[in-house]
Amino acid sequence: MTSAVGTDTGSNYFVAGDSLRLIEHPEILPAGFPLQIKPLPIKNRYEGDKGAIANGAKLFVGYNCLDCHGADGSGAMGPSFQDGRWHFGGSPGDVFESIYQGRPDGMPAWGGRISNEQIWILTAYVRSLSSKDLSTENFTGKTVERTGH
Amino acid sequence: MKRVLLGHAAIATLMAVAACNGGDKGATADSASGSEPQVTSGAATGTASTSGARIAVAHAGPPGEWQMPAGDYASSRYSELASITPQNAANLHVSWAFSTGVLRGHEGQPLVVGNTMYVVTPYPNVSYAIDLAQTGQPLKWKFRPDNSQQAIGRACCDVVNRGATYADGRIFYNLLDGHTVAIDAVTGNQVWRTKMGDLSRGETITMAPIVVKGKVIVGSSGGEMGVRGWIAALDAATGKEVWRAYNIGPDKDVKVGPKFKPFYAHDRGKDLGATSWPGDTWKTGGGAVWGWLSYDPALNLIYHGTSNPGPWNENQRTGDNKWTASILARDADTGEMVWALQVTPHDMWDYDAVNENILVDLPIKGQMRKVLVHFDRNGFAYTIDRATGEILLAEPFVPMNWSTGIDMATGRPNVVETKKTAQDKNVKDICPSLEGGKNQQPAAFSPQTGLFYVPTNNLCMDFQARAVTYIAGTPFIGGNAPEKGGPGGYRGEFIAWDATTGKKIWGIKEPYPVWGGALATAGGVVFYGTLDGWFKAVDARSGKVLWQFKVGSGVVGNPVTYTGPDGKQYVAIYAGIGGDMGLLIAGDVAANLPYDVRERGTTLPDIARWTSWGGELFVFSL
Repeated sequence: MTSAVGTDTGSNYFVAGDSLRLIEHPEILPAGFPLQIKPLPIKNRYEGDKGAIANGAKLFVGYNCLDCHGADGSGAMGPSFQDGRWHFGGSPGDVFESIYQGRPDGMPAWGGRISNEQIWILTAYVRSLSSKDLSTENFTGKTVERTGH
Repeated sequence: MKRVLLGHAAIATLMAVAACNGGDKGATADSASGSEPQVTSGAATGTASTSGARIAVAHAGPPGEWQMPAGDYASSRYSELASITPQNAANLHVSWAFSTGVLRGHEGQPLVVGNTMYVVTPYPNVSYAIDLAQTGQPLKWKFRPDNSQQAIGRACCDVVNRGATYADGRIFYNLLDGHTVAIDAVTGNQVWRTKMGDLSRGETITMAPIVVKGKVIVGSSGGEMGVRGWIAALDAATGKEVWRAYNIGPDKDVKVGPKFKPFYAHDRGKDLGATSWPGDTWKTGGGAVWGWLSYDPALNLIYHGTSNPGPWNENQRTGDNKWTASILARDADTGEMVWALQVTPHDMWDYDAVNENILVDLPIKGQMRKVLVHFDRNGFAYTIDRATGEILLAEPFVPMNWSTGIDMATGRPNVVETKKTAQDKNVKDICPSLEGGKNQQPAAFSPQTGLFYVPTNNLCMDFQARAVTYIAGTPFIGGNAPEKGGPGGYRGEFIAWDATTGKKIWGIKEPYPVWGGALATAGGVVFYGTLDGWFKAVDARSGKVLWQFKVGSGVVGNPVTYTGPDGKQYVAIYAGIGGDMGLLIAGDVAANLPYDVRERGTTLPDIARWTSWGGELFVFSL
């Protein structure tokens, strides 16, 4: 996370939040507006919770996520979750948003179809898969099982 | 030890070779013992061999052009061009190449009409008209269709397109997001665009259409998404839908009526497309039409296959599940079903029957028969009477162990009990794998030799079925099927097949599944490309590799040949690994997606050493 940068004398002001935002016209700010604020990342209360992650694994199968993203999220029609790389951001808030709203390459929107609680549980599971450094492939290491359609 | 059928070899050791071996091995020629090739005098007309074997329908347009996906309605992929011969094929070289600007699986083939070549790319399905008459092959036009990005994630097995077809000054092809378009061949302008599929329900289109009597025939993809498969005809002039036939459901919807006369008793009965399913499960039962189409003008029949039933988990759909995994013959004017042959009733291995149906006349048991030859995913090569749907011959063309053979009285395969898949069971070592003995990669036929040239897979699988819920727009699969190399230590073989006897004549073993199609020529040379990027010219009679060239990416496309403006014979092939093999199985061949880095898969553990995603057309000549 980039640290917040602020100044009360310059013409440009950065305000940190979930994303940094350039405010070009400080005169529109209300009096007393905090020009230096700490990031308030969205927290997932299930993050790292083993029980929730186990339930998330079940939801991942039950909602047919597995057949798109592969067994254990190894990648299939949809991208891998094991590589520590994220198309639309990997923070809990980002992952929640991807599941809730869907994404343009075909990821369905689950918001309103399943409970937000379940989306948070899925978020915890999906993030728990992201652990491998796959930057280098040297063709001598182990392999994973994949299935075709 | 497990029983395996391999051509006519009876018993072989299965799984003798660990899945991690064999990837580095080069291809080796292997002449099958026993019968000799049906060699005949080289009649360069291509109309008939001395045995009388002939292609049922003439090549579309002049011999030097390639106007249809397979060159003709018969799906023969045979050309009468004969300049390239076994004597001179070693002198082949690259004449020019063209980047399509698109990565992913380049299945299908270009068209050549006059002095113009037409290329259609995978999603976003850009089409190009290339001027062959000018040095440097400049474009005449480029067409970039409106094509929904959502389609990328709704296509099960990569965002492929299997090509366009030409008729009456127009190029017709399908868009991944479910549209069919007609493009003016001269200007590149869109003449019409018709929405045929519903993307929100997982319907995409990947197949190559054909035009029959002024109608464009198209079919849906999405057998892994719980679609209800269909085939439809559009007016080539206006794009208006003329008829649409579903492949599952009541007779009215599947167009079963008075004309329907299936050969086998189990295919007769009222509303079988619905009653051979429990409850309403037929509504999400698959049966898509994503493969190749053939047409016999004399019988006025269109032939097409249908995909697997959905879901893979067979417990959720007891019954035959008609008309999935079937070969269907339909009246070209109305879409009415005339005969049906369900090659894999109640499929439980994902054995789609969408592979091409090649229409030829062959001497069988001393009698000339009008047949359809079909190399099915299930591992059997069928020689079928194309007027009636009667199986004349069905023999395994790859190692298999799920069936002991076809019951010729019923037309049904005899299934090995221990290879039946079931919910919550892990059934081990089923051959062929769900990719089939052959997949979309189309075979070719030469009337000179009377032989079929067939790109095949040699893979086996474990199959773990599980309960699954239908959720529109998500996969409806309910199964996992890790694959491994089949018996013998090779994963694919390019074979020559005699469909009058059901015997393999020769084979070229390949380290990887042969996912690209074949081309046969009157010069006595056949062509094919490999997943690891070799494009090869082979002696049609002996199977000897005459020449090979390493192209820029793995080949999953189909070669075509044409006469250039300079009068020379050219051979064109796409390079661009992808499709089910490239996207799902060879998961690590991509390099352009920083957010999607995948581990090597066990099925093709070394493929990424040899090739990466690409998108290029290569053109060769002497």
